[in-house]
Amino acid sequence: MAPVTYLEAIREGIWEEMERDPAVFCIGEDIGVYGGAFKVTEGFIHHFGSERVIDTPIAEAAIVSAAFGASLTGMRPVAEFQFMDFISCAHNQIINMVAKANYRWDAPAPLVLRGPSGGGVSGGPFHSQNPETYYAHTPGLKVICPATARDAKGLIKAAIRDNNPCLFFEHKFLYRRIKEELPNEDYTVEIGKARMHREGRDVSVITYAAMVYVAQEAADILAKEGIELEIVDLRTVAPLDKEAIANTVKKTNRVIILHEDTKTGGLAGEIAAVINELAFDDLDAPIARIASLDTPVPFSPPLEKFFLPKVEDVVREARRLRAY
Amino acid sequence: MKKSASKPRTRTPTKAVLKNSRSEISTANSSRRNGASSGKFPVRKNPHGIPDYRLEVLDCRTVEEWVDGQFRYNIEGDLSAEPPPLRESKYLNKQQSIEIYRYMLLNRKMEQTLENLFKQQKVVGGVYLGLGQEGCSCASAYALGEGDWIGPMIRNQGALLVRGFEPRDVMMQYMAKSGAPTGGRDAGSHFGDKHKRHIAAPISMLGDLIPVLAGVALGARLQGKNIACLTWVGDGGQSTGPTYEGFNFAAVQKLGVILIVENNLWAYSTPVDRQVACKDLANRAIGYGVPGVIVDGTDPNQVYDVTYEAAQRAHAREGATLIEAKMMRMRGHAMHDAATYVPPAYFEYWKKRDPIARMEKYLLEKRWMSTKENSDLIASTQKEIDEDRDFADASPYPEGTTAGERVFCDNSIEIPFLYGKPKVKQSDKKKLRAASDVAHFR
Ligand SMILES: Cc1ncc(C[n+]2csc(CCOP(=O)(O)OP(=O)(O)O)c2C)c(N)n1
Ligand SMILES: [Mg+2]
Repeated sequence: MAPVTYLEAIREGIWEEMERDPAVFCIGEDIGVYGGAFKVTEGFIHHFGSERVIDTPIAEAAIVSAAFGASLTGMRPVAEFQFMDFISCAHNQIINMVAKANYRWDAPAPLVLRGPSGGGVSGGPFHSQNPETYYAHTPGLKVICPATARDAKGLIKAAIRDNNPCLFFEHKFLYRRIKEELPNEDYTVEIGKARMHREGRDVSVITYAAMVYVAQEAADILAKEGIELEIVDLRTVAPLDKEAIANTVKKTNRVIILHEDTKTGGLAGEIAAVINELAFDDLDAPIARIASLDTPVPFSPPLEKFFLPKVEDVVREARRLRAY
Repeated sequence: MKKSASKPRTRTPTKAVLKNSRSEISTANSSRRNGASSGKFPVRKNPHGIPDYRLEVLDCRTVEEWVDGQFRYNIEGDLSAEPPPLRESKYLNKQQSIEIYRYMLLNRKMEQTLENLFKQQKVVGGVYLGLGQEGCSCASAYALGEGDWIGPMIRNQGALLVRGFEPRDVMMQYMAKSGAPTGGRDAGSHFGDKHKRHIAAPISMLGDLIPVLAGVALGARLQGKNIACLTWVGDGGQSTGPTYEGFNFAAVQKLGVILIVENNLWAYSTPVDRQVACKDLANRAIGYGVPGVIVDGTDPNQVYDVTYEAAQRAHAREGATLIEAKMMRMRGHAMHDAATYVPPAYFEYWKKRDPIARMEKYLLEKRWMSTKENSDLIASTQKEIDEDRDFADASPYPEGTTAGERVFCDNSIEIPFLYGKPKVKQSDKKKLRAASDVAHFR
């Protein structure tokens, strides 16, 4: 099998689920003849028809609520946001209508809300955001942020099969930049389970999505100095894999939490609290947080570069923790 | 933090943007002047009674079609008609018409230059063109007065020029330069200017400017001034919730919001026939309870006249107006999009209705402009654009380390009233105490 990009992996995952299960259909803006702004659903309309690949008016609130309504009848909609930044236009529908339905009236909402998120592509303040934390904070939602093609496919399939609302944050920086060979057989990846990206004994980096590769570059640099980084890719940010978080801290006793979302109120704070609860005695150094600057995502390349976490940040913090 | 680096320059003809025509020509005598608007080309009404100023009505739909197992769009209807002339303006004089034409030229040339810069990889991110829509952007913005506001969208870069930004400002925005109005913090036409030019900066989320402009009109009214607040929304963008919320708010409060729905038949790859089930978007005016009109968006005279009248209503505190401008997005959504989903006959039909070519012909035939004057104007606008391109190209990027600045406004900075201090009733402590007694059941 030829290697498959992160984007193609998502496409394969949705395609296979649509073939497997008549409950699954796609809904969103420009996903039909155009195949989506990033071409994730390219070719779908020709194969599945315009009844199952639905181009909607520009109306995110209606897309989410209509997906929810369809899910009440047993359908499993996969709704696309053209950019995940536009999820804010359906914030009310997601956090009030969808997330609370099972709890309030025993109405499960088996739907997937997916789309491109993340920066590093000079997309500016409205095409670069990482809004996952708003939703990780909301009880009733599963929030998935894959970093590899294999996980992207396995997790989108798991999300479609899950009986709960799943928010699937694809990282647009990774869409065409990474590739790998995928298993031939039908597979899913369990939601809520982290993945060991790289084993190491000295310092742990707990991270997810595109930042996995920032950590990896730092690990390559640090390896030459004899510092071994362990990289834990969370894959899912709600629910968090607390066991994997505690295990890596118990192993290395030093931890950096790295994410692309901005720092204040970001997931790193939550993960640090989990470590405090489960592995405080195992820490040999303070927990380090690396995240984006507390500003909107700026557009101009020098500004965005300064805004985003960098390899040097991870290298510097790892050295500091190692020497602590 | 960042103000535009460009200095105002003198050019021909002079920029009379903020000097409005209102004072110069009265409605009565100009409509007498103008035969075409009443006799020769009466304003028809659509089946719902909405005035339709177009001189031709294109009756067609975009429909789904399957060929060899492939989905595509096709056209149902007749696109063979030849373009009509421009409608005579009831208000515009020669000098104003030439000025609008000049802005349209500037708008087009600026965007052509941006396209070239994009191909040379000097632009950061995408480029959005208003090709074929310059007449709508420029003539509508030109119809406003000095204290009025605009809230432009991506295809309204001509309106930014009319309100006094320079082509170099837009170019620096696209090139992410430090001298750009946002200093590289946001892209393209995403910028504004409260104080001088009265422009609200858009965000990407479509429709969100409409309630903002309603609020600007509300704020001005609280400060004792009835202003017109012009904003535009696409046939796609008008599907959003904030469009309804914002425009209904303006309608109920009788705020002077002028909403131009730019129906260019496409929203990215989605034809308007998949966006809305009604034929004319102006019909929505009935539901909002405000006047609605339809114009040909490639006819600057029609656009100017209806916007001007809407602005007069706004200044007289008569409330909001909805204008549907029908035209065509003549390129893909942005530079990356080849628009292969658009049936080619649409481009052929609308290419003959190019607003700049139509305006040029109109001015020449009217003898308001000689061929020599025209070629001089074309050359001078090109020169201006070339200078601005070189300036923008040579200007520096922002310093990365400034990215963290100005998330908040310092409280030592005074935020002024734009229209004057609101008049409030003198405070009466006794009444406050009485109210407090009631609240506490005393
Ligand atoms: C709320 C929201 N959803 C999605 C988008 C992505 N998007 C940007 S422009 C566009 C199409 C806009 O079409 P239209 O409003 O008709 O304007 P036009 O491009 O034709 O001028 C879409 C879907 C957006 N900007 N805002
Ligand atoms: Mg449109």
